[in-house]
Amino acid sequence: MEKIKGIIKEIIKANAAPDVVGWLEEERALNTSFVLLPRKTGKAIINISKEQAEQLNSIIPGFSVDGWSIDRLGRAFLLLNLDAVNKDEYFRKIENLFLAAEMGELVALYSALPLLAYPEIWVKRCSEGVRSNIGNVMEAVMYHNPYPAQNLDQNAWNQMVLRAFFTGKDVGKIIGIDSRANKELAYIISDYIHERWAAKREVNPNLWRLVGKFIDEKLFEDIKRLFEEGNLVDRKAGALAISQSNYQPAKALLTKYPELVTAIENKNLNWDSLSR
Amino acid sequence: MCCTHSFEEVKSEPLSPPVSLDGIKGMKFFDPHVHMTSRTTDDYQAMADAGVVALIEPAFWLGQPRTGIDSYRDYYSTLIGWERFRSSQFGIKHYCTIGLNSREANNEALAEQVMEILPLFVYKEGVVGIGEIGFDDQTPAEEKYYRLQLELAKESGLPVQIHTPHRDKKGGTRRSMDIAIEHGLDPYKVIVDHNTEETVKEVLDRGFWAAFTIYPFTKMGNERMVDIARQYGPERIMVNSAADWGISDPLAVPKTAALMKIRGISDTDIELITYRNAITAFAQSGQIDEADFASAGSAIDQSQKFEGNTILRGGQQPRTDKSSIIIS
Repeated sequence: MEKIKGIIKEIIKANAAPDVVGWLEEERALNTSFVLLPRKTGKAIINISKEQAEQLNSIIPGFSVDGWSIDRLGRAFLLLNLDAVNKDEYFRKIENLFLAAEMGELVALYSALPLLAYPEIWVKRCSEGVRSNIGNVMEAVMYHNPYPAQNLDQNAWNQMVLRAFFTGKDVGKIIGIDSRANKELAYIISDYIHERWAAKREVNPNLWRLVGKFIDEKLFEDIKRLFEEGNLVDRKAGALAISQSNYQPAKALLTKYPELVTAIENKNLNWDSLSR
Repeated sequence: MCCTHSFEEVKSEPLSPPVSLDGIKGMKFFDPHVHMTSRTTDDYQAMADAGVVALIEPAFWLGQPRTGIDSYRDYYSTLIGWERFRSSQFGIKHYCTIGLNSREANNEALAEQVMEILPLFVYKEGVVGIGEIGFDDQTPAEEKYYRLQLELAKESGLPVQIHTPHRDKKGGTRRSMDIAIEHGLDPYKVIVDHNTEETVKEVLDRGFWAAFTIYPFTKMGNERMVDIARQYGPERIMVNSAADWGISDPLAVPKTAALMKIRGISDTDIELITYRNAITAFAQSGQIDEADFASAGSAIDQSQKFEGNTILRGGQQPRTDKSSIIIS
């Protein structure tokens, strides 16, 4: 964390007035600094170098501060500077910030979860953020934040992913979206898709991303429907899902669509391009 | 905190001219007192459509007394969190004032605890004043917490939004101003709310801001408001809706502007009374940046921008066809 602190300090130096880092490091009640911070730093979006982004990502894979505002980063820096020796006190101090936080503060707090000491004590808090009804707070937990994938148990993880779909989030920005895919989630998603079909509502084609690896007899029925009744995007999604699968009947189906197979092999078709 | 009327008092009124906001098309409005937690999203949509670009939600009571400190904490958090977000979805910039309302100041045990947590909230971004505070029954407890909060306002450099009482209004208003001055507050940083024809002169003469609440049956009607604007001009005068859970109207500010326009008040004066003066008064908090809402619809609030998407700006909410029997 010392290294992370150093990099973030450099980023702040490059993006804020000369006295800001000094101000952040002054002895002061955490509550006060945390709340007053934007008056000192402003709220401009930061610029970071490619090297800095890579350094951060190499220390905490998946973590990115790209597009953050300077106050958000400043608040993360304050948390990094907190004395973490006494676990209970450390928890209480940060939890108190959560309890009285306004919107911008919540965003900063949740996106700083991967920077906090004792990762295991923030699990409940993380799920609380997932339950938030405030779009940008949810995104702070979900987007480019490696904390959930590393710390949430399967049930909590699945809830987060489902909530991302239910609220129209860009699931491609969720760190660990593919690596933490699981059969239980694939089945829940299948049920959800059936519900959408029954209601004659649109189905987000990215949902199939989480089904592909687990295609079996039951899930294959859904995939077939994509090819039989779906539009081009549905068939593309179906093809991508099958490309993740070893289920033989599915692979056989895909051979009937050589142009999709080629597009996937040439990397012209992938989940990211599908959502665009 | 507006309603002392009971619902039985409401008599049916003769039909009045239908609303037409055509005359004020393109004008922007700032409603410096409206309790949105008590309103529906339909109201937000209607306010945005009518030109309301920003508002202030003062902390008040909930229609029944709170019984514990956590209710306060959650309420204040709602004002700076959830409600702010809900508003932003309709392109309306949401500010608030934070305070212990006068009615609940009478529960002293709880009031003490509230005073302890207020400093946690008054320095938050977008908190533009201490409010709404002042007198209701004019009890000693109300006076005590009014004074303590005036001191907090001084310490934090925030403006004060004063609720004036329904009963003994004139006396209560005068007393509120006397005490504010006694505590060394600059009248120019104090907004005295819920004025009437009877209180406005003294409020203005003493250098305070005079706010008028356009609220059916119990407070000002907007026809009376037009007469006041004619008589006193636009200086240090503002109107608000104070819409809440009572029979009230979240479009009171644009409707009043429309009526002023019909009755010949100049556009300049209408703008001051329904937009500019509220900004001037509350921007003394240092927490209002007009650029955040002045070009509503096109302005981009950088702090709410993610990955290049300005997800929260106005017009983002899907609309439903209210006249249709089909709900899909």
